[in-house]
Amino acid sequence: MTVIESRQSSSIPLLRIAAVAAFVVIGFMLPRLLGGTSVAYSTLTTIAIFAVMCYGADIVLSYLGEVSLGHTVFWAIGGYTAANLSVKYGLNGWATAAATLVLCLAAAAFLGAVTLRTREFVFSLVTYAAAVVAYEIAFNWDTVGGSDGIVGIPPLKLPLLVTTFSGALQEDLWPIAFALLLLTLAFIARFRRSRLGTTALMVQMNPALAASLGVDPRRIRLAVFVISAPITGLAGWLYAYQRAYVGPDMFESYFLVMMLTAIVLVGRRILLGPLIGTALLIVQQNLFSLGGDWNKIVLGSVLALVLIFWPAGLVGLYRRITKKTT
Amino acid sequence: MNKTKLALALLLGLASVPAMAQDIKVGTIFPLSGGAGPDGQTVTNAVKLMVQQINDKGGLLGRKLTLISKDDESTPAVGVSRANEMIAEKADVVIEGWNSPVTLAMQPILARGGVLDITAVSKSDLILSGETNPYALRINSSNGFDAGIIAKYVVETMKAKKVAFLTQNDVYGNGFQTAVEAEFKKLNFSGEVVMTEKFAFKDTDFRVQLTNLKGANADAIIVTNSSNSSGLPAMVEQYRQADIKSTFVGAVGIMLTTVFRVAGDANNGVVSADIFFPDLPPFTIMPESTSFVAAYNKAYGINPDKSAALGAAAVQVWAQAVESTKSLDRKTVAEAIRGKAVKGTVFGDVQFLPNGQMQPRYVVFKVVDGKNTKLEVLQ
Repeated sequence: MTVIESRQSSSIPLLRIAAVAAFVVIGFMLPRLLGGTSVAYSTLTTIAIFAVMCYGADIVLSYLGEVSLGHTVFWAIGGYTAANLSVKYGLNGWATAAATLVLCLAAAAFLGAVTLRTREFVFSLVTYAAAVVAYEIAFNWDTVGGSDGIVGIPPLKLPLLVTTFSGALQEDLWPIAFALLLLTLAFIARFRRSRLGTTALMVQMNPALAASLGVDPRRIRLAVFVISAPITGLAGWLYAYQRAYVGPDMFESYFLVMMLTAIVLVGRRILLGPLIGTALLIVQQNLFSLGGDWNKIVLGSVLALVLIFWPAGLVGLYRRITKKTT
Repeated sequence: MNKTKLALALLLGLASVPAMAQDIKVGTIFPLSGGAGPDGQTVTNAVKLMVQQINDKGGLLGRKLTLISKDDESTPAVGVSRANEMIAEKADVVIEGWNSPVTLAMQPILARGGVLDITAVSKSDLILSGETNPYALRINSSNGFDAGIIAKYVVETMKAKKVAFLTQNDVYGNGFQTAVEAEFKKLNFSGEVVMTEKFAFKDTDFRVQLTNLKGANADAIIVTNSSNSSGLPAMVEQYRQADIKSTFVGAVGIMLTTVFRVAGDANNGVVSADIFFPDLPPFTIMPESTSFVAAYNKAYGINPDKSAALGAAAVQVWAQAVESTKSLDRKTVAEAIRGKAVKGTVFGDVQFLPNGQMQPRYVVFKVVDGKNTKLEVLQ
């Protein structure tokens, strides 16, 4: 059924390490393999950033079984924090990233505590309401940007002990986006095997068993929700530097639908699922675009169809087909 | 190996359609779908028409123009992707911008890609701040100039003593009110602002605010409302129902066709200003303008509105600069426009300010027959 963890593959650890290393090297070289143009870099950087954005919502959807419609809030917190602190106070990337982490954790702790007793539909509704409120604040409060947003975000600067990295060009931003994606993947992989990850799954799949083991489901829910926020937040943080402009559009349904579709498209609880889903969606929008109205209809229909017919995503569909043919 | 590379590149949508090497590429990025889709199509159509006219006369620098049109879906994130595609397709100029946030998001991308970027419609003051694009150019008027003409009309022509504001509560509305009040000071306005009422962009029921304003008994009520297809027509109707005697002074550019179509005769008596009219002087006596109106009408069966004129002017201004500098280089062309005068556009002879803003010339008008969109020139 659901792949909680396929430990068998680790019986040959060397092979596995080699496979991961190859994946990392090829992934990193991908823009150069595609011709090394600035568009190759910017497209892949966008895919990496959006994928990280999806992973935050993915934890909540896959491990709590809840649909968070409020993750655009954390996405926007990342963007607005980077924009405000770098433009108004000239802070470097480390400082804005740290502030993003703190603010996302605080916002998620608050929102998580408020939604602690809500489930399913009500949970989605409350998180959505939070996004609407946050949007109105961002839109109307000139101090954080107002309806015009913030322009002139300087290139990302990440001074290390000996050297200073400066992400002025798309080419320079790619290593950072790729590193953030790898960090996220490592974190998710670790999370899936962690006590919290497995307990969260137990709470979702078998609440009776969890209760009999003395697990407090509310504590688990809160913890999972809180750790999901900074992931999406850091994606928003990097997106602000990539685009050099942050506005209230960060709350738009474009990002929300992207998150949810990318997660369910390939299948929940699959490590590379959201990454592949994001890549497919961006490629569709850029190469097989059917025009704005049709793209939205397609995106919405795909989301609905997948949820109705193949709740396990493309992987589930593949499994069903192979089962039938064998 | 090469085949795989090509296939991968195609997959990511990075391969550009090979055009004739000598063609000059004119790109447009406007909303072509969704709520603002019809507006974006109007601007795009005007650009297309101008490109055709230039080609009919033998092109630019001896080369033909090709048009690449893209849809930003009124979404900044989509606009950014489209801007990147323009860079990949090596567009020589991009004419863009219906919504300010989309323009603001695309601006740094195009600037980094070294593509000349002309903003046709988006109004935000941030676009010309020079922070992201030191060679920014904009055709449409800015909030600051708009406020100047409205303030001048209210103070000097109407000689209003009591003025009230009905203001949309966002950067656009509040910014406009602040700018008008600043202009009042400059004009030594001796009257007073008796009341300010605010509403949200999405509102359609203004009866509470209008009842308050009726009590204030002002000579003029200055109105900002950018919801041209729902909020503003409703506001005009309710204004008439409330039987308010004060003159309804609409901010620049809000009285679009949709307002007349929906609110009809309720618009009678509304005073406002704009920068282009196909059927009002001075545009009816300018040959560049009348020939554009005729050509547009022939091509698309309707009169061009202001947004069409903005798109057309963007092409004309750029083409003249290219012709005179014999260059397509972003910096060279932009510097030939910024701070310079340009002759013979659909707006007549125009002057650009050093920051890239085209200096607007306004026509203040009064609606005399709202049902048939008949206006009377006041100034």
